[in-house]
Amino acid sequence: MIWIEGVLVSRGEGGVYGERMLSGHRVWDPYRSKLSAYYYRGGERDLLPGSKVLYLGAAHGTTVSHVSDYVEVVYAVENAYTPMRDLLAVAARRKNIIPLFADATDPACYAPLVEQVDLLFQDVAHPDQARIARRHVPFLARGGTALVVIKARSVDARKDPADVVAGACGELEGSGLRVDRVLWLEPYHRDHAVLECLRDDTPPQGSAQKGR
Amino acid sequence: MPSYWFGDVSGGRCTPVAPREPAHLSRRLDTLACDMAAYVPFSWEMARDCGFVSTRGEYIRILRDLCMLRAEEVLAQVAARPEQELIQMVHMRDQLDEVINHLSEKALEWHAARSPGFSRKYRALRGSRVAIVLGGSGNVHIRNVGAGIEHLAAIRRDLNRDIEKAARALLPNCTALVGGIVAARLLSEAGGLVPLSRLPAGTIQVLGARTALFFHLTSGTPPPKHGIIYQHRRVHRASRERRGRVARVLAAKLAIAARIDLYRGAPDEKFLALAQAAVERAGGLHDMD
Repeated sequence: MIWIEGVLVSRGEGGVYGERMLSGHRVWDPYRSKLSAYYYRGGERDLLPGSKVLYLGAAHGTTVSHVSDYVEVVYAVENAYTPMRDLLAVAARRKNIIPLFADATDPACYAPLVEQVDLLFQDVAHPDQARIARRHVPFLARGGTALVVIKARSVDARKDPADVVAGACGELEGSGLRVDRVLWLEPYHRDHAVLECLRDDTPPQGSAQKGR
Repeated sequence: MPSYWFGDVSGGRCTPVAPREPAHLSRRLDTLACDMAAYVPFSWEMARDCGFVSTRGEYIRILRDLCMLRAEEVLAQVAARPEQELIQMVHMRDQLDEVINHLSEKALEWHAARSPGFSRKYRALRGSRVAIVLGGSGNVHIRNVGAGIEHLAAIRRDLNRDIEKAARALLPNCTALVGGIVAARLLSEAGGLVPLSRLPAGTIQVLGARTALFFHLTSGTPPPKHGIIYQHRRVHRASRERRGRVARVLAAKLAIAARIDLYRGAPDEKFLALAQAAVERAGGLHDMD
């Protein structure tokens, strides 16, 4: 990752959403982006040049634009109409964003379009975030990483966030993903955690079926 | 036999799609079955070995053109739905209400601060009467804000009229039952005419009471009796013990009305007469079981 005096930046054409520039680089604000917050909190799964990313919950394309600065190609999935317009505007100027207007709970419909990727990033506001992650294991190449943002308040607003995260980790067991580390995004985002998962091939397959 | 956007793989042999025009690729993609169980992960090299493309750059370019086209098509479809405009009109009306209330509140506060004898009690200061009070103020700014409120209220009146008209055209039966504004709100909450027409009556009854409903499900508080349809006078004017019943009957009739609206698009007088009578009966004081 590119840091300039402790500030996370990315290298690309600026002015996407009014982001600040720092010596010609785009400042990537951890308060606005959970992925940025992940790196600020010590996340070590870097975005590598030449890598392929599947991004679920692309929203307005703000974070996607930074990801696209780092990697070879981003498959950006979003299923809401209003953000999709912004995402398309961003994708129109960045040749490595592939926008997919689809529902991440049902990957089968975009599966024929998405090759195997090195990194899965999931940031969706859905009560069943762990199940969505399970369903996307087949898209992850061997040795690939999944960063799953758990929005504890979207899962259950009344439960203790720590319990929600523990529950999600439990649900990922046997899915082909091994949770390596849990990073809380305080103070940048409240009640959000990133599960750092590795594709675990010990049970060779069957993850898609068990994901139901 | 796995099929991908660039071709079909069968028995180890791949047949590329031709021609490679985005529109053609998109139409073919629509015919593919969505089935994750039969899905086999792939890499771009398969497309190359298939003879579909020769370089990675070409692969990404064609794929991106295809996906942009598909996303734009869906956006265009959504934008072309007639209810889209109606939903925006209702949002704007709500916003106008909020702005008018805020402005009135603050301007009256200022007016009261200048005139010690002024009290809002017993004056029923709503709507255009606020503008009259403010218009008589000795302060030019308060008078100007009063004129602004009057102007906004006129915009709101016109908008209201057009919402009624648009709702009557799009949802004639629902509008006849609950009025244009409530019908338009239900439409907006459901996300369109097609989704609304597919909702069961029980959902229509509590549409817009999401928080109360989930609170009920998670912690066993009493279930909500009504959501948006509470705004219809027959529900909120019903006596407390009958409100739930009115809401339930009205929602049941709305579920039917929405389907008639979608599939026939014209008012069904016979249905409406029976439905109105059923709702009246539910709210009436007589013949209670």
